[in-house]
Amino acid sequence: MKAYYTSRIIISLAFAVLQWATGAIWWEAALIAAVLIALFMWAPRSGRYAVYPELGVSALRRDEFTQAINDKAARNAFMAMALAVSGYLIIVGGVTAVPIQFVKWLLFGGIGVYYLSDFWLRGQRLIAKPQE
Amino acid sequence: MKLQNRLKQQRQNRGFTQAELATAVHVTRQTIIAVEKGRFNPSVKLALEIAQALNTPITELFWLDQQENQS
Repeated sequence: MKAYYTSRIIISLAFAVLQWATGAIWWEAALIAAVLIALFMWAPRSGRYAVYPELGVSALRRDEFTQAINDKAARNAFMAMALAVSGYLIIVGGVTAVPIQFVKWLLFGGIGVYYLSDFWLRGQRLIAKPQE
Repeated sequence: MKLQNRLKQQRQNRGFTQAELATAVHVTRQTIIAVEKGRFNPSVKLALEIAQALNTPITELFWLDQQENQS
């Protein structure tokens, strides 16, 4: 799993540097990197993915159950974002310049809906139950 | 008609943990949990792979609940 962890640390740091280079405060970028690294460390132990260490950087695989959950969560996120955009356009009274702040919150909201749907559809706790 | 299963019973009878069975059929432990609890219907391929891993006829693992149809 060395290749997996190494690649994910590099990706997390690169994303954080990108955030910093585009205007984020240094500690915000560091926090983003820390959160991403923690998520990547948790993923192989979460029970959500079939783990194939021999595959190196692409060691985690979705199976049919995980893919079905992901598909439903993605649809929920898309619908939530579509409704949010529609509501915003109705409120402002038409297609006008959309402020970038709204787009940022829209994306965060979509990601939030995706993961909330994912956890709810799985019916699980954040920490996997002990094996039976 | 609802798909029923006795996967947990058969798995335990053969000494498999959920993780071991999941590894044997190349799925996640969550998938095995979801199938055992009836929250997810496996594909035909997965059902056959589970039956093969447990060395059990598939009809002893999965069946359709006829009672719902008759009520």
